[in-house]
Amino acid sequence: MTTGENGFAVRLEGVTKRFGKRTAVSNLDLEVPKGVICGLLGPNGSGKTTTIRMIMGILRPDEGSVSLFGSDPDVTRRTKVGYLPEERGVYKKMKCLEFLVFLGEIRGVPRAEGKRRALSWLERLGLPEWADKRVEDLSKGMQQKIQFIGTVIHEPELLILDEPFSGLDPINQDVLEEIVRDFRSKGTTVLFSTHLMDHAERLCERVFLISKAHKVLDADLRELKASERKGVVAVEFRGSDRWLAGPEVKRIEQVNGGVHLILNEGADHQAILRRGVEARAEILRFDLVEPRLHDIFVRYAGADSVGDAGMPTTAGGARA
Amino acid sequence: MMWPNVWAVVRREYLQRVRSKWFIFGTVAGPLLMALLFVVPIYMASRSEDAERTIAIVDASGVLYERLAPELETGGWNVHSEPWTSDVVAVLTERVEAEDIGGFVVLDERTVETGEAVLYVPTRPSALRTLTLRSAISRAALENALERSGVDADAIMSGGELRVEVLSDASGTEDPRFVVAYFGAFFLYMVILIYAVAVMRATLEEKTSRIVEVIISSMKPWHLMLGKIVGVGAVSLTQVAVWLASGALLATAGIPAILAARPELGGFEQIADVLPGVGLLSLFVAFFVLGFFMYSGLYASVGAMCNSDEEAQQAQVPLVVFIVAPIILVMPVIQDPTSSMSTGLSLFPLFSPILMWARVASGGAPAWQVALSFVLMALAVIAIAWLAGRIYKTGILMTGKRPTLPELWRWVREA
Repeated sequence: MTTGENGFAVRLEGVTKRFGKRTAVSNLDLEVPKGVICGLLGPNGSGKTTTIRMIMGILRPDEGSVSLFGSDPDVTRRTKVGYLPEERGVYKKMKCLEFLVFLGEIRGVPRAEGKRRALSWLERLGLPEWADKRVEDLSKGMQQKIQFIGTVIHEPELLILDEPFSGLDPINQDVLEEIVRDFRSKGTTVLFSTHLMDHAERLCERVFLISKAHKVLDADLRELKASERKGVVAVEFRGSDRWLAGPEVKRIEQVNGGVHLILNEGADHQAILRRGVEARAEILRFDLVEPRLHDIFVRYAGADSVGDAGMPTTAGGARA
Repeated sequence: MMWPNVWAVVRREYLQRVRSKWFIFGTVAGPLLMALLFVVPIYMASRSEDAERTIAIVDASGVLYERLAPELETGGWNVHSEPWTSDVVAVLTERVEAEDIGGFVVLDERTVETGEAVLYVPTRPSALRTLTLRSAISRAALENALERSGVDADAIMSGGELRVEVLSDASGTEDPRFVVAYFGAFFLYMVILIYAVAVMRATLEEKTSRIVEVIISSMKPWHLMLGKIVGVGAVSLTQVAVWLASGALLATAGIPAILAARPELGGFEQIADVLPGVGLLSLFVAFFVLGFFMYSGLYASVGAMCNSDEEAQQAQVPLVVFIVAPIILVMPVIQDPTSSMSTGLSLFPLFSPILMWARVASGGAPAWQVALSFVLMALAVIAIAWLAGRIYKTGILMTGKRPTLPELWRWVREA
């Protein structure tokens, strides 16, 4: 109903998807502003891939609507969107260059132009000598790079990447990060899902956190961190810990070498410090914590979501 | 707008397949190898020295040479007569050893009575040569014997004549050509099945490798399916065309060349008589194209609804029934091409490519029925495209268990 609005590259309204009795995505609203890098975060089985598949039209939502650039997604998708699915498929028998030219061609890139772009991308990703090799002769990681090139060969306005970093070594993860930033600086919108918080933390301007089919967090990453910064104090000390508790402190978490104090809204952390001094505790450290996305993730997603994976979303790999 | 990406799929499918070793082997090397197996031995044999083909005939009976000579000449021998003398065997043996002649035959009274004769040659001749020689001699002896008893041997020997009077004009004018009808039907069955299954496999492979998610996000499922079918169809047409062309080459150039080299193989001239003409060949290709479009559409939807080869093997069984049934029925249809059962069965679109072909080729189908079958097949292609396109669209992105029939129907309705 609000598809006439622009400003959003992707917009989901009240989207629900069920598989049998299980609800994979529940009443999800999602707005990806144009020209922004957004991260779709969540534990395994939380509904990230299902959400992306609905955006890509591979699954149809049972309820709600999806729009891309404020118009009919089916038409927009074919030319304006580059999609890297989580399960990477290739034509194994094709030569890399031909494969890439083909992927460009079906989205309207003329063959000569496709070839030029493919070659320059192969060069950039360090695979120029593989152009005439069959895709099946490449290692998994190299195939993934080929696939990434295939995703961007038509210079899409919106990139949708499902777990783009999994399967890449740290060097190539950095290369990919840099490429994503490049696209951003050229005005491309990027939405990627990941369970690797480091990348999300470095790249994202906006994060969506999904847990157990529900969106639990939807925020500008910088604002989120700023607001979280007020709330947590890292303390290391020797002596009595009785001074820690007080009206300002909501919760005390034990961490390696000390504690984290989770404060109540608007609480004055200086009051705690004063109490500590009065209690003659030997205070080694008293820090306002720059909250890591990792911690925010864990706090919002909740430990109870672990092992709730009913969906084939993320294949193995390190859990954040 | 829709065509560039369909064209890209067609192009990819075609080039990938045509470049594959198996295609090249099957298309080019196969028939070539067959032709070589057929032609080379004959050619080699025909290259033997002239002297070998020159034989002397010693006719002690005095009545057989006149009959035998023309027969052997058309069979590719150079013959001349040698008068009988008591030492003729010794004299001619010397000439054989001098490689002046390739051998000699001695005919005598016993030959006249029983057909027995003696052939003197330096090395054992091929079975074919012995046979042609023997039959020529026994024929000469037989003719001679019949003539002595006052019978017109030539007329009877040439096989008489069976005039065929067709009482109803329903069966067209062409001669019945059983071989063309039967083998053509079988060939159609094979090629349609092979390539329809190829479409299914390609679809399944795209689905299981998940490449389809990327492709489908870039084009309509229906366009992908169309491109796939057209691409594989173009490959099959290429193959059929190469086969037909090499067959035609063999028939128009190969067989006459062989016959020129080895006139004793005159019997093979009959092959040329039964070969189908251009009209029949065009019909063959048309039946193939429509048959392929019908079955490949159905097979594509089977590929789209399955998740593994094993599943697909099972799911295609109903289709196999439809494509095998006409092959089982083809014999009765050829034997009685004008019966109402033959007519009815051959008008059923899924059976038409094989059964209507069999009727046309065996001369039992009036033009209007052929035309009607093409109209019905064209309608079937449209219906199948509609149906299969909808199943394909839903199935290609669906994982999990294979759909039941009611589920399939829901896909078709909701797509």
